[in-house]
Amino acid sequence: MTASTPPTPDNGNGSWAAIRTRLALALVLLYAVASVAAWIRLAATAPARSVPDEISTYELRFQALRGTLPTQGVVGYLGHPDPTGPTPAESNANSLLHFKRYLLAQYALAPVLLLESTEPEFVVGNFDPEAMPSTPAGFRIVRDFGDGLVLFRRSP
Amino acid sequence: MTVGLCLSLLVSAAAGVGLLRLAWPRTGAAWRWPLGTALGAAFGVGLSSVLLYLWMLAFGPTQGFPLAESGLLGVLMIAALVRGRTAPQPQPAPSHRERRGRPFYLLAGTAALALVAAGAAFLGSLRRQPHGEWDAWMNWDLRARMIFRGGEGWRTAFSGMIPWSHPDYPLMVQSLVVRSWLYAGRETLCGPALVAAAFTFGTVALLVAALAALRNTSQGLLAGLVLLSTPFFIIHGTSLYGDVPIGFFFLATVVCLALDGRYGGATRRFAVLAGAAAGLAMWTKNEGLMFVPAMCAGILVSGTFSGWPAARRRLVAFGMGLFPMLLVAASFKLRLAPRNDLLATLGIERTIGWITDPRRYFLTLREYVAHLATFGNNGLGSATWLLLAYFLAMGIGRREVDRVWTRMTAVALALMLAGHYVVFVAMAYDLPRLLNSSLDRLLLQLWPSALFLLFMAVRTPEEVGSPLRQASPS
Repeated sequence: MTASTPPTPDNGNGSWAAIRTRLALALVLLYAVASVAAWIRLAATAPARSVPDEISTYELRFQALRGTLPTQGVVGYLGHPDPTGPTPAESNANSLLHFKRYLLAQYALAPVLLLESTEPEFVVGNFDPEAMPSTPAGFRIVRDFGDGLVLFRRSP
Repeated sequence: MTVGLCLSLLVSAAAGVGLLRLAWPRTGAAWRWPLGTALGAAFGVGLSSVLLYLWMLAFGPTQGFPLAESGLLGVLMIAALVRGRTAPQPQPAPSHRERRGRPFYLLAGTAALALVAAGAAFLGSLRRQPHGEWDAWMNWDLRARMIFRGGEGWRTAFSGMIPWSHPDYPLMVQSLVVRSWLYAGRETLCGPALVAAAFTFGTVALLVAALAALRNTSQGLLAGLVLLSTPFFIIHGTSLYGDVPIGFFFLATVVCLALDGRYGGATRRFAVLAGAAAGLAMWTKNEGLMFVPAMCAGILVSGTFSGWPAARRRLVAFGMGLFPMLLVAASFKLRLAPRNDLLATLGIERTIGWITDPRRYFLTLREYVAHLATFGNNGLGSATWLLLAYFLAMGIGRREVDRVWTRMTAVALALMLAGHYVVFVAMAYDLPRLLNSSLDRLLLQLWPSALFLLFMAVRTPEEVGSPLRQASPS
């Protein structure tokens, strides 16, 4: 395959064409240099490999719990904070945080399906580590894993 | 583990390149290794994804897959080699050296520097968030985990009980992540990272190689430089979403159509390959479902320039390449995927209310203009304005613009933008939030193809009267 258009320098207006070309190329190079500088800054400020990221740290909380859950099936979920707040902005922020923690719990505990419900036999409680976990009615604590993480089971 | 991961990529790429070389026409288009490798790797990863899907339907995500896949692709490669010995070889590219001046080497050096810096930034960004961004652990990698960990119960990954995780999304990215873990022998964060890196830098390689083959090397380097310098492209590559992968297959489709535009008189194989690449896009994200009719519409519109018989032949060849992937995608949608959440929540009254609300049209249009105008902003300026200035300075190469494929692709890309506009207006529940969170990603999907189209159409520096070519000694 070869270029179909043969080189046809703009000889009729050569110097202007050359200036235009140089300006256009300079623009592209300038844009690239600005990005390269940003890439170097980004690479230089990357955390060390030994520093765990936020999600890996959050996932570690669920490691022991994962071993005690059934390998398949549906498990209930109770989370914090309450997706409400005194103002719409706080309510939105709480909802988002509540949802994010639920998603991360699901990500950590896959392939078990987590449902925000107390219908299933087992329910995972993912509470504020500072707060006393409250047991839902009709359930008993199977194990308190600490750090706000509790596994409940429906009482016989 | 590292060996297994590397092998997962090598097996796909080698098989893809081997099969593409086998399918490459024996006359007309010369075989070039850079383009053949980049394009072949695209088909190779797509083939691997489909093979794993079919394997899972039969046996589940079992550890036997890597051996079976390597064996199957090995047999195919041997068959290709045997046939290659008896069949005529593709024409090698004519060897001719372009005369290059110092500015060319400055451009090549900057492109190499940008590649190294972007690679370092990519790794740095991955180290910062090895699980990717929100959608990666809510959707793509969650699904991969559910399949890999699920064993015999892998179909739970597509449960309608977690509709927020988009279980109807096609399987390209998730299956490639699962495949990397099967090759590695265990779940590792390096798997999704490798898949993301392959698609991100594979897109750059394909863009550069295709332009180098169809225009010239400096044009390829310029386009590659702009793509590598587009901040959102590199950063979003590390988000581990499906937008960069689908952009890769959009680009592969457009490149195959450009090859068809150049050599379609002698062979229909490139149009068939374009159909296959479009099918792989459809297997990557639901946006591919819009891309296929947009491309078909582009081909039909091209009939007004090339004549209907030519358009019909191209459309039939495109459909032949697309058909196998249509079957695969239909099997997924019918057997595994629950209903799309966007469609499932649609109500006729609400939709009529939305499409008759002029404020939604205005808001969507305003955001389109704003996002297009600022796309690729790296602090110095947006890539859109940069390319507009570049286009005005260099002018268009009439021979390329007059080609049918250029118009076909321009129509398809415009239809994609229009299609997304309609989806936003008619289907988005929280329109401002959705525009804010997804419009840049949709533009990014089209970005490599748009760059390819632009740098195919615009005159090369050498054509304008360039400092890139060494002045002839008098």
